[in-house]
Amino acid sequence: MSSIADGTGRVETRPASERRSLPMTARVALLALSAAVPLLFAGDYQLRFLAEILIIGTAVLSLDLLVGFGGLVSLGHAVFFGGAAYAAAIAAQTLGADIVVMLAVGIATGMASALLMGVVVMRTIALFFLILSLIVGQIVWEVVFHWREVTGGADGLRGFPVLKLHTGFATIPLNNGVALYLAALVLAFAAFFTARSFVNAPIGRALLGTRERQLRMSALGYSIPRIRLMALLASGAIAGAAGALYPFVNQYVGPNAVHWTMSAMMIIMLVIGGVGSLYGAFIGSAIYLGIQTYVSSYTDRWQLVVGLVFVLTVMIMPKGVVAGLKAAFGRRKDAEGRS
Amino acid sequence: MGLYAVQSLNALSFSTLLLLTGLGLSVVLNLMNFVNLTHGSFFLLGAYVGVYWLASGAPWWLAFPVAFVAAGLAGFLLERFPFRQFYARTHLMQVLLTYGLSVIFADLMRWGFGAQILSAEIPEALRGVVFIMDMPFPIYRLFIIGFGAALAFALWFVIDRTIWGAVVRACVTDRGFVETLGLDTRRIFTAVLVISAGLGGISGALGAGILSAYPGLDEEVLILALIVVVAGGLGTFRGTVLSALLLGFAMTFSKVWVPEFSNVVALAVMAALLVALPEGLVARKVRQV
Repeated sequence: MSSIADGTGRVETRPASERRSLPMTARVALLALSAAVPLLFAGDYQLRFLAEILIIGTAVLSLDLLVGFGGLVSLGHAVFFGGAAYAAAIAAQTLGADIVVMLAVGIATGMASALLMGVVVMRTIALFFLILSLIVGQIVWEVVFHWREVTGGADGLRGFPVLKLHTGFATIPLNNGVALYLAALVLAFAAFFTARSFVNAPIGRALLGTRERQLRMSALGYSIPRIRLMALLASGAIAGAAGALYPFVNQYVGPNAVHWTMSAMMIIMLVIGGVGSLYGAFIGSAIYLGIQTYVSSYTDRWQLVVGLVFVLTVMIMPKGVVAGLKAAFGRRKDAEGRS
Repeated sequence: MGLYAVQSLNALSFSTLLLLTGLGLSVVLNLMNFVNLTHGSFFLLGAYVGVYWLASGAPWWLAFPVAFVAAGLAGFLLERFPFRQFYARTHLMQVLLTYGLSVIFADLMRWGFGAQILSAEIPEALRGVVFIMDMPFPIYRLFIIGFGAALAFALWFVIDRTIWGAVVRACVTDRGFVETLGLDTRRIFTAVLVISAGLGGISGALGAGILSAYPGLDEEVLILALIVVVAGGLGTFRGTVLSALLLGFAMTFSKVWVPEFSNVVALAVMAALLVALPEGLVARKVRQV
């Protein structure tokens, strides 16, 4: 049986700064500049939409740690994200929606559910891992869906306080598009750099090793379950942080956030953006949510469009849109020429 | 006592449906090493065909062959393009391709058949109930058990006991060798996929009598079938039968005992099974090195 994980493309192992010609500071400045552009031109609705893209993109990024680097294709990832979203929304009712508290609650919930998931799925790989993570996810969904007193059941939760930032002397409410966009932006950057340092750290290298040569890694004395658990915890923490902000974008969280179709949607985003490229997660989520939001205003058949885009990506550009376009325009060639 | 007898029969009829659907999936997975997540779409297509056929007034028993042909035809076309290009790819790529296709089909069927729940008109001959220990039990469910078991047995017989089955199994072991014997393995694979899709269609037509047909049924069935196949263990017929029975009984009896959290209990049973036996109920012996 071939592994479900291999063949997603080798992951570039050098830090990004060595590969590109632009110096680090210039790239950061460029990114900051392009991140500031929407603030000038976009309205409240578009900024909220961008915040949603960034938040869900962060969750997809955390999934990329598992799929792209660990070869662990999980269909239960929505548990980390949606579970943290519910935890934040519920905690906000009693603790107040201080963003720091919310992030702490979200990260703790994400890691706790990752630990739970890790303990359950520890011994399985490939298809068995996929199905077991799916089952765990569906169990959580069933509980969320039926536990009306706490989760609101099918209606979800509304009417919790708006997100706030307590600085030393003033309390800033984060309930408008600009503030939410900025908060999501900070989250996305922090998550990106956390994920990147995880991948470049020895634990990240070891994770790649377990994907590529499981037997050889065990022979070298690595504990594969431990490495996978660490990856799950890191992924759960990032997904949890993203989940903590998610309810506050629309002041609503519903059971769909933990449903397996949410996990499947994240995988679709990941593949469209490119498995194994961390920034691809945001591109994938932008493309998917863009289709969902803008095509659905023209036709009811937006799922058809998403499906077609996804299938075409898998068939034509299995490494994702960015890598596919790069290959098409020949930039790949000079990158290889230098190495 | 009567209640348990009737519930056991209920569980058995549901297990039979799960078994038939799961077998379609596992035939392709085990014989062709191909993960086909469009199988739920074949099921739903068969269910819609069954509903329309039974409502049309044509001979009712033809509904099942017709569902087989309709889903089989869909499978045939899909096999030509794009499944064939993905046989040699990894499971992940196959999962992605076929899941994407199932999203497309789900939306196409919602477009074509509408979003409402269509329930099947059960034919005259199978309507009514029989009394088992003074408890009524629908005849249609008995029909599902009988027909499904016969189909499953036939499939097992063909694959395990006939020369055709031997040829297909030989293709899995060494495709090149079968080619040198002068057999066109591409056509063999096409045939296996058509049969698998057709089985999905028949299961759908059978299931329409108790589950109806509606958008979303494809995913529900697909997940249950996947759980059955994987929890049973890859590459075993016996394992699939056992895990279909386990899931069918777990789902039925948890509805009796803990109606509020029935799915949680049933899913937890399957999760516990996979935690205890990570390779499924009946594991294939695989050498590590």
